[in-house]
Amino acid sequence: MNILNPLSKSDGEFLNIIVVGCGNVGVTITDRLSSEGHHVTVIDKNAPVLKEICSTYDVMGVVGNGASYNVQMEAGVENADLIIAVTPSDELNLLCCTMAQKFGNCASIARVRNPDYAEELSFIRSRLGLSMIINPDLEASREIARLLRLPGATSINSFARGHAEMVQFKISEKSPLIGKALRDLQSSFSVGVLVCAVDRGGEIFIPGGSFAFAAGDAVSFIATPTDTQKFFKKLSIETRRVKSAMLVGGGRLAYYLAKQLLESGIAVKIIERRSARCTELAELLDGAEIICGDGTDESLLRESGLAATESFIPLTGIDEENILLTLYAKKNTSAKVITKINRMNFHDVIAGLDMDSVVYPRFITAESIIAYARARQNSIGSNIETLYHLFDNRAEAIEFRIAEPCEVTGKPIMQLPLKKDLLIACIYRSGRVIIPSGHDSISVGDTVIIVTKHSGFHEIGDILS
Amino acid sequence: MNYSVMRYILGWVLTVESLFLLISAGVGFSYGDASVTAFLISAGLCALFGLPQVLIKPKNNIFYGKEGFCTVALSWIVLSLFGALPFVLSGEIPNYVDALFETVSGFTTTGASVLADVEVMSHGALFWRSFTHWIGGMGVLVFLLAILPMAGGSKMQLMRAESPGPSVSKLVPKTRYTAMILYGLYFLLSVTEIIFLCFGGLSLFSAVTLTFGTAGTGGFGILNSSAASYSPYIQWVLAVFMMLFGVNFNVYFLLIIRKWKQGLKNEELRTYLGIIAAATALVTLNIQERGLPLGDTIRTAFFQVSSIITTTGFSTCDFDAWPTFSKVILVCLMFIGASAGSTGGGIKISRVLILFKRAKEEIQHFINPRTVTRIRLDGKTVDREVIHSTSAFLITYIFIFAASVLLIALEGHDTSTCFTAVAATINNIGPGLSMVGPAQNFAFFTPFSKIVLIFNMLVGRLELFPLLLLFSRKVWKSGR
Repeated sequence: MNILNPLSKSDGEFLNIIVVGCGNVGVTITDRLSSEGHHVTVIDKNAPVLKEICSTYDVMGVVGNGASYNVQMEAGVENADLIIAVTPSDELNLLCCTMAQKFGNCASIARVRNPDYAEELSFIRSRLGLSMIINPDLEASREIARLLRLPGATSINSFARGHAEMVQFKISEKSPLIGKALRDLQSSFSVGVLVCAVDRGGEIFIPGGSFAFAAGDAVSFIATPTDTQKFFKKLSIETRRVKSAMLVGGGRLAYYLAKQLLESGIAVKIIERRSARCTELAELLDGAEIICGDGTDESLLRESGLAATESFIPLTGIDEENILLTLYAKKNTSAKVITKINRMNFHDVIAGLDMDSVVYPRFITAESIIAYARARQNSIGSNIETLYHLFDNRAEAIEFRIAEPCEVTGKPIMQLPLKKDLLIACIYRSGRVIIPSGHDSISVGDTVIIVTKHSGFHEIGDILS
Repeated sequence: MNYSVMRYILGWVLTVESLFLLISAGVGFSYGDASVTAFLISAGLCALFGLPQVLIKPKNNIFYGKEGFCTVALSWIVLSLFGALPFVLSGEIPNYVDALFETVSGFTTTGASVLADVEVMSHGALFWRSFTHWIGGMGVLVFLLAILPMAGGSKMQLMRAESPGPSVSKLVPKTRYTAMILYGLYFLLSVTEIIFLCFGGLSLFSAVTLTFGTAGTGGFGILNSSAASYSPYIQWVLAVFMMLFGVNFNVYFLLIIRKWKQGLKNEELRTYLGIIAAATALVTLNIQERGLPLGDTIRTAFFQVSSIITTTGFSTCDFDAWPTFSKVILVCLMFIGASAGSTGGGIKISRVLILFKRAKEEIQHFINPRTVTRIRLDGKTVDREVIHSTSAFLITYIFIFAASVLLIALEGHDTSTCFTAVAATINNIGPGLSMVGPAQNFAFFTPFSKIVLIFNMLVGRLELFPLLLLFSRKVWKSGR
């Protein structure tokens, strides 16, 4: 580094990033970004919290109001490449970002959660010149809605603007897949899916042709939505979308979710404790059934028709409550249950519980921000479109857009010296999803999805060893 | 305790030390010293113990404050134990306790010597003696942080344990780059000084060793007369650079990134310069003799003041022969010490400032118990936690000091000797008064007293607590 100008704008190797706000999402982002090697400065009003973060992660802290000029200068906004504002207040976040752009000419990401702005996000973004607006609740609600449309899956990530998806499901005891080798998949089921990763007892495999499936494996595959449907039908996994949903807790996420579900014709029932909020929801959500009461009350749940609902989604603000409600519903009903976890860190405990789908809003946010930061890092050739962390961060799925010819283009995949533990899972070319074989090649203009156990890929060239 | 990561870091410390010893061997070789083999053997031993530890990666990288403090303390002990080997092996300081005293005195940038005649030492040994100052000045762990791409966020714990001052802050978000910048500044300033000294007609060897002594605020000279026989120009250069190395390096960083105002407004810096100016003036008035040119007196006064407040310990005259008033001023400066975040020792200006303001606050509270007050430094409120830990620092410091004086007093030397011997070691200065004055040395102490003083030097350099932690049984229990 340049000793005489140590704070110079980053040379593309790493970004100087300012994170404003040390809440849940702020800490997650800080953790991920600093472990990816970026130079992170954290701003928060709360000094003890900041101190804790600075001693846990390799970052610098500045105490103060993130929208103030002096505080931003102290955090080095002149040399920042990116500012991320995730304080509890939407307006403060927007102010932070607009101020930072004026002082420091950096890219900016703001979190805006208030449903009042939800319709105007892209307008706000372009008018204020922000790089990205994130709304974790909205993102999480989209993910939940996807799962409700395909209840047999435990998680669904979409790529190539929804043309391809990565679906994860658990192999049940009676599944016809058990004992089948991966290379026989095509001949036995004749569908275009590509298995990209398998979690067996906590260990992640990027399977080869001789890999045989066993009961209890969590399998991730990539396919088009129609192929997924076909594949699930052949495995006799539920593919019909749910008809009704019961939501416990009427927060922002519940509102966003209910709105989407209602639009696609799913009956929604929301149980909310505060009567004032119930009135609000009743006003906002035409067609939803709002029940005012304590969602953690067993008799109330039964009275509200828990037994008959096809899906049950606890969305209270308390993770422990959500988990208990999930376990209760799993025991007493056959409904699809999706659990939202905001804060909790006991990953292996949660993974050990019998819950089928778990949604972490803060990780969803962190993923899109990391994808953005990695895309900023590389200047040429290829760009990261989306990024998902799979199996607790132990594998990544990355979508690259190939803009220019480079070392991977124009050659059959089998001739590329790929890294170990890496898979080219899918190529999206002019509206068509190709599940690649060794003879296919990548060309300019494609979108390529790779799955890997390595981390820190910035550009498509990183896949070569 | 995460022993595997501690073992790994200690391994690196030894590996780096082996490298440093090789450099000294190289210097010795170029002068045709007989001691080269001793250095090569020592370097080999360091590598023998260090390298295997480095090759086995730790099982997990997670470590907390406790591990950080213990690792730093152990690193310094291991560093000194091995650093003493070449002196013993070459027979230049045959007694191991004496050699250890000399080495610890080097690494802790104390500069107290057991040698009556340094001019008979080989070039390699002289270089190594001074080089330990340079390594110890900024700290060997900071050096490791700068060169080792270690994972994990807790690296700051290491830096916090080794860097002086009540609260250690980063310059840039990454610990590694902060360490790099610190060493970069340190290196630049050192090179500048070497150039200035060479310009004054010193040989490269003298310039480099003297610079090492100044940069680390150590004080080992290569002549028996310390700095007295150098030309006035050299003395001015040394005095000014001693003063510069006693400044908080954050100030230099601010200057480099062109935040002039913020850098020069620094309260600690202003106090530091103020104290130097006032002390120089008072000493000059006190020691001025009829007939001597005022310029010479000012130079002598400024040199000793700068040398003592930065805890370097070079001298251009025997200040033990000064009038009592001047001697007491120097003793006061010994305790105040240099700025936090510099290479100097002592209690540190910023701590003195905080304690002074705390005393003022207490008086306020006596006048009106309901007053709500805040202690500010550089216009920013100082955390209550920092104030408490500063008070705790002072209390612990006094206890250790008193106990050490008591133990040294067993030998039966005069009060001034006992008192200043401890003051000169715990504050990492070097020369004291009376029998340990600038014209004397520490050779006459019994091995027991020397070990007490060795402990004092280490405890002073690491700012008390990291070393004291090693004596707590709780730390070593396997559970957390």
